[in-house]
Amino acid sequence: MLLIPAIDLKDGQCVRLKQGDMDQSTVFSEDPAAMAKSWLDKGARRLHLVDLNGAFAGKPQNFAAIKTILKAVGDDIPVQLGGGIRDLDTIEKYIDGGLRYVIIGTAAVKNPGFLKDACTAFGGHIIVGLDAKDGKVATDGWSKLTGHEVVDLAKKFEDWGVESIIYTDIGRDGMLSGINVEATVKLAQALTIPVIASGGLAGMADIEALCAVQDEGIEGVICGRAIYSGDLDFAQGQARADELAG
Amino acid sequence: MKTVAVVDYGMGNLRSVTQAVMHVASGSGVEVVWARRPEEVLAADRVVLPGQGAMRDCMRELHASGMHAAVLHAAAHKPLMGVCVGMQMLLDRSEEGPTESLGLIPGEVVRFQLAGRHQADGSRCKVPQIGWNQVRQSRPHPVWAGVEDGSWFYFVHSYYARTSDARHSVGEADYGGGFTAAVARDNIFATQFHPEKSAQAGLALYRNFLLWNP
Repeated sequence: MLLIPAIDLKDGQCVRLKQGDMDQSTVFSEDPAAMAKSWLDKGARRLHLVDLNGAFAGKPQNFAAIKTILKAVGDDIPVQLGGGIRDLDTIEKYIDGGLRYVIIGTAAVKNPGFLKDACTAFGGHIIVGLDAKDGKVATDGWSKLTGHEVVDLAKKFEDWGVESIIYTDIGRDGMLSGINVEATVKLAQALTIPVIASGGLAGMADIEALCAVQDEGIEGVICGRAIYSGDLDFAQGQARADELAG
Repeated sequence: MKTVAVVDYGMGNLRSVTQAVMHVASGSGVEVVWARRPEEVLAADRVVLPGQGAMRDCMRELHASGMHAAVLHAAAHKPLMGVCVGMQMLLDRSEEGPTESLGLIPGEVVRFQLAGRHQADGSRCKVPQIGWNQVRQSRPHPVWAGVEDGSWFYFVHSYYARTSDARHSVGEADYGGGFTAAVARDNIFATQFHPEKSAQAGLALYRNFLLWNP
């Protein structure tokens, strides 16, 4: 299982939000490229970027910061990015700029036709991010709950060539309350593409709990607050996950 | 009614494998059995052998669960499909350590040695390999039917099969160098990758396996 450090970008800086609230953010670094490089040096094999302004505005807002990260990381490891990606031109611009995976969230739910087109045009580069509470999908930076069941929606997407699903339990993200392993595995078991767990990773216990079920298709876990607060030592966590992979 | 047994010998979670086999079996007239007793494996017309984690643990549990003889019986008499460590156990031995194996396909299981190696896209190769990779169908096989050569499949592994006889390597992939991703011999077909996590291409393999009459 891959431990994927998250770098949340707001106004060009690295921040963490509490429960997805733009007004409750902590600045971790003013130098996104240095932050990316430091995770690379600690052995990260993929990076997860979130354009927070983009997610709220519905269009890319941190392009400059993202470009410096891609430049710093180079070809060494793949980078995935989400937040406000809602048209094919934006995807093309990012992929041409060296981004490996584009994460489509709200737009996948509201405009499945766009997702289908994106998969056709950029096969192998599209990840869908589904945020959910009690099994129901949320959109628009978690502000709206829809009637869609996560499993139903994800099953519809998997045949289109989506690389994986990032599943975020929004009751928990940024609260260090532990990954919702049960809900994540339930989704993974229902799908024929891998799932990346997200939302509330608290520490090594979560890593071990996820590794115990990784053969159900848990490709990785997004690491946010816990690796910044020190609740989880990133390198130790990845080493433990590698050990448990067999 | 024809049956396919997914062997549950206590090594990990088989729901994804069972789910995928059930998905392709639905409407085909084949019944899927999540087999927890050797008799269910003995009675089945074909058998899927999954596996995860360390090969040593898998072999130990195969014995402890009483499934060992039933799996060997299947290998001698009916179509058998191994997945991941379920494939690795089919070889003669493993670099993972001195452990017995099923010895059904001549060769060994070796660990990736990837220091300083890079993938085609420039990224560094790390062990385990986790993610999608393209598989070349190095030899024709009925289980590849209708699956495009070079299709993408999902991998999670640190070890891979090195068959003694090149004819037993039917699928190959690149990860810091070429390696065998699928093996086959007589009535056995096995993959290092996870067909149940490989979307349509993976489901096609399970579907073909249910139709295969070696």
